[in-house]
Amino acid sequence: MKTIKIFGLLLAYFAINQLQAQFVHANTFSPESKHTVQLNLGWDYGLVYELGYSYRLNTKVPVRLQAFYSFPSGNTAFDDFKTKVGAQARVLRSGNLQAHLGLYGIYRQFENPLVGLRNFGGEARAMIGYFRPRWFVGGEVGFDKAIATQFKHEDAFRDNIYGDVKDGWYQAGTGGNLYYGIQAGYSFKKNSVLLSMGEVRTEAINTTPQLPAYFKLGYQRSL
Amino acid sequence: MKKYLYALPLLALSLWACEADRSTTEEGNLVPLTVEDDPNLPVIAVNGTLLHAETFGNPANPMLVFLHGGPGGDYVNGMQVKALADDGYYVIFYDQRGSGLSKRHDKDTYSIQLMIDDLTAVIEHYRTSADQGVFLFGHSWGAMLTAAYINAYPNRIDGAIFAEAGGFNKELLDEYGAASRNFKLLTEVANDIFYMDQFLTGGENDHAVLDYKLSLITPFAYHEDNDEGVEGPSPFNRFGAVTLNSLSDIAENEGFDFTPNLNQYATKVLFLYGERNRSYGLDFAQREAAFFPNADIVQIDGTGHEMIYFQWEQVYPVVLDYLNSL
Repeated sequence: MKTIKIFGLLLAYFAINQLQAQFVHANTFSPESKHTVQLNLGWDYGLVYELGYSYRLNTKVPVRLQAFYSFPSGNTAFDDFKTKVGAQARVLRSGNLQAHLGLYGIYRQFENPLVGLRNFGGEARAMIGYFRPRWFVGGEVGFDKAIATQFKHEDAFRDNIYGDVKDGWYQAGTGGNLYYGIQAGYSFKKNSVLLSMGEVRTEAINTTPQLPAYFKLGYQRSL
Repeated sequence: MKKYLYALPLLALSLWACEADRSTTEEGNLVPLTVEDDPNLPVIAVNGTLLHAETFGNPANPMLVFLHGGPGGDYVNGMQVKALADDGYYVIFYDQRGSGLSKRHDKDTYSIQLMIDDLTAVIEHYRTSADQGVFLFGHSWGAMLTAAYINAYPNRIDGAIFAEAGGFNKELLDEYGAASRNFKLLTEVANDIFYMDQFLTGGENDHAVLDYKLSLITPFAYHEDNDEGVEGPSPFNRFGAVTLNSLSDIAENEGFDFTPNLNQYATKVLFLYGERNRSYGLDFAQREAAFFPNADIVQIDGTGHEMIYFQWEQVYPVVLDYLNSL
């Protein structure tokens, strides 16, 4: 519940700070462009492909609205995917140092032969880096919270494992993962190449996902 | 006012999420209750724990203890072994510490010696006379535990059956693990294992969550063209993820060797292997059998690692012949 309140407050902060200012996005390097699209490939709880779009608001605090759709490779199309919508803002600039905060709402889905999961979640992300006109490097930390998850089990689960398993929505906080790592980018004309990688731990800290790492290689173009 | 509209969807989500009333950590929701919470389950209290256990046959007959796989599995898919009760054996099943429907324990309480001590306690619990014969029938990890027990006490057991032990020492375990856990990251099987980690997480002693997650990755064991030749799903009640994690960490960090005293065990032992398990096969069976002075090896045709469940009609006469020959 506490996590939800924090997400709500931060989102409200972005919503009400619509003031006029020039926007510089951490990953874009093209402040005059309103629209950017990006294509990412990496490891995000699976070998995933990700499409992204972002739109620059005319605000004093530099804010960029973002939307992402990602799906893992595999034989079954559309059974597993993640959608993420939110905003990223530059909250600090001092010389070549910049700090950015991002907040996102998430809807994602997972299916395997035993269960289907549907989840609403949220993600908060902070990044601080050294920015030059054509490149940047920095560190990032983020938290991905699975807030509410619907479980729907297949007959294979009921027949072979637990017949009395309870389907339905499970209350706030079915999971959460903390990630931290490095991020870097290089731009040329209207194009950027982005790289990020790091480690992942669960919110319990003393456990990790089965593959406790993330990696993302992206191409971004300003329109 | 328009400015605040951005926050409304998340506010609605927050309120709605609070309406959901089930918790993943509550026993009985996603995993069955253990003997701690369900008074209707058969249970024994031994060696400082509560074990889910059942017996079949005349308690005065020679005792056959079935040791399930894992670590962290349960005895459900080995239940056909109870047929040996009709052949004059007192057949005993128990879910090992922290496994199946037995009581859960914290991760830092486990040791291999503790699992051996539990087996000693189970035998003593059910033993009805000092001269009662005791036989062990181990599958996979259960077969490793069988070797560990004989290695610790070479004079206590009157016969043993090993159904594809995953390795009697760290070197063999690593070899078997590398051969049996192959999959490609680009496949659906990989997604079925890894992608759920963003939906559901738990701390190292969150038994309900971790046990449930472990149950969800079982389709990996029988995915198409799996190395262990597993035909399909087989039933189980509940995995013990903390048991698996703890004993796996012990094996990885401390190593283990269940073999130094096996050459003192003169009684003939029986090794079974499934024809379709590419990770095991005759070669691996021969290398494990070589630790014993007297061993028979039998191939079970047309099956793999889960031979006891899928090909019991073949396993049964081989095991019965062996037991009757002792």
